[in-house]
Formats: sequence, structure tokens, C-alpha cells
Amino acid sequence: MFVLRVCMMALRSLWIHPLRSILATLGVIIGVGAVVAAMAILEGMSARFRAGFESMGSNKLFVTPNIQRRHNRMVGSFDSLRLGDAEAIDRACGKVESVMPQISQREAMVKFLSKNTTADILGATESYQEISSHYVSEGDFITAQNVQGKANVVVLGSRVKEELFGGRPALGEKVRIFGLLGARTFTVIGVMEEKGNVAFMDVDRQVIVPVTTAMEKLYGLKSVQTIVVEAVSPDDADIEAAAGQIKKLLRQRHKIRAAQDDDFEVKSQKDMVEQVGQFQQIVGIVLGSIAGISLVVGGIGIMNIMLVAVTERTREIGVRMAMGAQRTDVLVQFLIEASFVSFLGGAMGVLMGWGFANTIEQLTRVFETLTTGLSVGLALTMATLTGIVSGIYPAWKASRLDPVEALRYE
Amino acid sequence: MPESGDLDADLNDSLIQLNSLSKHYKMGDTVVRALDGVTFSIREGEFVSITGHSGSGKSTMMHLLGCLDRPSGGEYWLDGDLVSRMSDRMLAVIRNEKVGFVFQTFNLIQRTSALDNVAVPLFYGRKPKVREAAMRALERVGLNHRATHTPAELSGGERQRVAIARAIVNEPRIVLADEPTGNLDSRTGNQIMDIFHELHRSGVTIILVTHERDVALQAERIVRMRDGKIVEDRRVDEDLRDELSAGEQDVPDRSPPPLARPAGV
Repeated sequence: MFVLRVCMMALRSLWIHPLRSILATLGVIIGVGAVVAAMAILEGMSARFRAGFESMGSNKLFVTPNIQRRHNRMVGSFDSLRLGDAEAIDRACGKVESVMPQISQREAMVKFLSKNTTADILGATESYQEISSHYVSEGDFITAQNVQGKANVVVLGSRVKEELFGGRPALGEKVRIFGLLGARTFTVIGVMEEKGNVAFMDVDRQVIVPVTTAMEKLYGLKSVQTIVVEAVSPDDADIEAAAGQIKKLLRQRHKIRAAQDDDFEVKSQKDMVEQVGQFQQIVGIVLGSIAGISLVVGGIGIMNIMLVAVTERTREIGVRMAMGAQRTDVLVQFLIEASFVSFLGGAMGVLMGWGFANTIEQLTRVFETLTTGLSVGLALTMATLTGIVSGIYPAWKASRLDPVEALRYE
Repeated sequence: MPESGDLDADLNDSLIQLNSLSKHYKMGDTVVRALDGVTFSIREGEFVSITGHSGSGKSTMMHLLGCLDRPSGGEYWLDGDLVSRMSDRMLAVIRNEKVGFVFQTFNLIQRTSALDNVAVPLFYGRKPKVREAAMRALERVGLNHRATHTPAELSGGERQRVAIARAIVNEPRIVLADEPTGNLDSRTGNQIMDIFHELHRSGVTIILVTHERDVALQAERIVRMRDGKIVEDRRVDEDLRDELSAGEQDVPDRSPPPLARPAGV
């Protein structure tokens, strides 16, 4: 009842000077708005990233060369993984179901007659369909024989097919793919079904060729970039066992001595999702700091308006004291008023941030934004706390007024 | 103290008892004796005027009587409590429960309805049924039809009636009025005085601080102050009225004072 009445009084005094109130709460409004918008965008991005990973199945491991950034230089061997490693993993590791060595290159030119387009080149094996849950919609996929024989065959992504052939059939046609070693002619043996983005890669814009062909004929590589491994089950124990087997095997094959570091890395899908989580955490800390700074600025605005209010209402405070208001009543009244003002600013900020995130979504259409209840609740709590903290000094000042002096105040 | 027996007796039948009450202010190096050892008492149900020129100490007296301020020395007994020794917290409770203030400038809270203004003391007294009690107080001053109006929508007389309703809403023992007609024309001022007479008849103790002769004379008793001391304390009777109507412009300032001790003792 007391709180409600005080809030009503606060609303009334805000309403009297609308422009002043908005200016005073602007810091809180903008601070909260920016954080809500940024959190919505971040949440949207990572939710999408996670969904992409999950659609790939959760029993995968990724073996890559161990490359680290030290003092701004990339350290490690880029060519530590060989096709033989993939075969050995497949043969020797009991917890491994299937293996796919791959290389990929972004944005290569693909040409059919006079039409050309750019596509990402993926060198893969016959296991790709199973491992990526991505299948051909017409024709055939690459076979083990194709990989062994380094055949010049290609499976087109749905958008690549569309751009080069339109509605006409593509199977059996010859396309030219421009690699680092020059253009090579490939026979189209299949077209992939449409899938959209997977972890920010547009798989419909890629063309798949045998990994051996890509290495030798397009790029002149002796090593593979990634060995995708599927464990026998998505259980954590099986995934870890598979990773252990792979590590042991590769250390042997690469003749790494006990004290030396691995020249490869084995990451599970879970590790990669966790890495995204870490990234999210870092962005969260940065956002939190920005929020903190803007709330301090906002708090100064609130403190300012409350100091003005205390001065303006000195006489009223005197009257209230004469009517029996305790010093604590006055203190609490101004504290509630300050936090209520700040809360209103926060609420406006939430609306603004949510609107901003949605506008970005509409304009870019790259990803959805997610304004979560948590971010809204957090923003409002922070705004209210800011109000309380910045209201303490003005409220204390009001409560210490001498009733006689306050009643005389003009 | 030789008169201590008398004082004990005073405590029993007086609502207010001041014993050598003083209030000193420091103004730079000099000490201003705004109230200089005042001793007097007021019985329950009395209607007393306190008069004097500005600087006489009547405002200080009003602040002390209203428990808005603490004395520098002496004792102030109110309704059996030694309020001169009370904490801020207890003084606020006394102000809330036992004292009703009426000010010259009304001091209503702006942009707040008459009803809500009247409810302020109930609010700080954490009283239940606030609206009903506030409405009853407004009825007593005949303003229930204006309950939803804000001070800006009321005339001066109406504002002062709202202020009186606010002063009596907690049914205090004392109503302290500081120049309540000072900002009003004489007709409206008379209406306000009528309300005070009515309150007086219903048993409320009324202390009126004023420098207006006509207003002061409406009380039963006049206490006249000068330089922080009581210089005159007498009943208002035909003699006094006659003296004044003989041509004096203000309440007579006769010295030496005829009464060293307050009349009510």
C-alpha cells in the first residue's frame, strides 16, 4: 500500500516534467536498450549455431592439424594429416564407426558452357552422405571406386545446379572447376538435396568431388584438412574412447615422442559447441561491461533528477515531517521513487532494444534474434538496482532535512 | 526547585507545561535567545493566542510546541510526556498523533487531490480505512464535495479548510495554527475562524499564533511575547476589548508585564 502510493506520487512528479524525466532516464533507456538488443542478436546467433551442429548428429569427432597462434604467428604443421591416417583410424580404432577425410576450399569458379558461378569445393569420400545426413536428390553420390581412382566426377549442390543449369537436367554434363592447378573438367553424377546453412556454411552452394581428385588435380595437396570421424555411439564414454584411440594411433603413426605435443587435434562436437559457449561468454562479459558503464551514466542521470526533486520539494518534505513522517519514511519514499523512475527507464529500454533487434532482423534477414525472458529480467533488475543505488544520496539528503528549515524554504 | 509541588500539580491538569524553556541559536559569534526561559501551561480544551512582533520568539514557540524542534534548555511536557528529551523518531510519532498543524500558506501538496492531502497524516500513521477517515474530516470542514479537486482548483479559503481537515484527521489533542488567516481576505478569514471556534467547542485545544489583533482577540486567552519572553498572559474579557477599541492598533504592549506567572497556573 505504502509502496503503491509512493509509486503513484513518483509517477505524478515525473508527469509534471515529461521532457526532464526522459532526459534524466535517457542513460538508463539507452544502456538497457543496447544491452537487450545485443543480447538478442547474440542469443539468436548462437542458438542457430547450436542447431546447425545438432543437425549434424552428436557422435562426431573432428581431427585437424594442431595449429596455434603464438605471438601473432601461426605455429604448427598444416600438413600433418594424410589420407593414410584416415584409413588407419578406420582400420584400427574399435570405437570408430566411419571416417571421412576432407578438404574444402571456398569460392572457386565452376563453369558450364558459358555460364559460371562460384561454389565452395568439398573434397570428400563416399561416407559424406551418412556422416553429414545430406543426400543426393538425383543421380548418384561419389563411390569408393571414384575416390580410389581419383575420378573427375562431381556432385552439385542444389543452388549451384540451379545457377548453372536452371531447369535443365545436369546429370552427365561436363563442368569445369577452377582449382589452384588450373581448370579441370568433371562429369556431373549427382545433385544434392537442398539443406540450407549448417554452422554458417551454405551447403547448397558447394560442389563435392572425390577428396583424392581435389588434392591431386585441383590443389596439389599431400595432406587433408580434416578427418571427420563418427564414433560408434553418441555416448560421452564412447566419444572419449574413440578420441583416445585416435590420439594414440596418430602419435604412433606420426612418431611423436613422449615429451612432444601432438601435431593434430581431436575435437568432439561437444567441444566445438563449448567453444561457441566460451565465445558467447566473452561477448557476454564485454556486453556486461558496456551495460555497467551505461548504467553508471544512467545512474548519474537518476541521481541528478532526484537531487533536483529533493530541492524542489524541500517544503513538501517539511510538511510531510510536520504531519508525522519519520526520517525513514522520507528516505524510503525517495528511494522507491528513484528506483521506480529507473525501472520505467529500463522498461522503455527493453522495448527499444527489442524493437531494434527486430528491425535488424527484418533488415538483414540473416538470422533470427532472440529476446529472452532472462535478458529482460536481468535488464530490469539492473535498472532498478541502479535507481536504488543512485537514489541513496538524494534520499538520505531529504531525510536529514530539518523540519523547521524545510517548512521555511521558499 | 521550590515550586516543584506546584509543577507536579500542573502536570496533572495541564495538557502543555513549559518549564524555563529556552532556545538559543548561534549566529556567527553572537547567541540569539529566540526563547529565553519561558514557563507557562495550557489546559486541555483552551483556545490560546500567542502574539508578538516578528522576532519576538512566537515562531520559535510554535515550532517547539509543535515538536518540530528541540529546546536548548528547560522542559516541555505534552500530555504527560517529557517531549523535550525525545528522539526524532518519537517526536514524529507525537506530531502525527497529538498535533495538527495549520499554516499561513496552507502548505498543501501540489497536484494532489484534497482527499489525498487530508490522508497524509493517516498514511504516515499507517492507519487503516484511510479514505473513510479523510472523507469524514473533509465533511467536518464542509468540503466533501471538493474531495477530488487539487489545490490549484480550490480558492484560498477552501485550501485552508482542506489544511484544517488534514490537521484534525488524526484527532489530535492540539491544533497549532500559524497565522491561519494571514493569506485570506477578512470574510474568508472569519469563516476559517468559525471553524476553529467549532473545533474548540468540540474540545480540541487550539493554539493560534498571530499578530492580527482581531484574530488574537477571538481566543479565550492571549499570550504576548517580546524578545523571547512572555510579557503578558491574560484572559480575553470585556476590559481588554474595551481597551483595544479605545483606539490602539495592536494588542497592547504594556510593560512591565502585570503577570510574572502565567494566568493558568
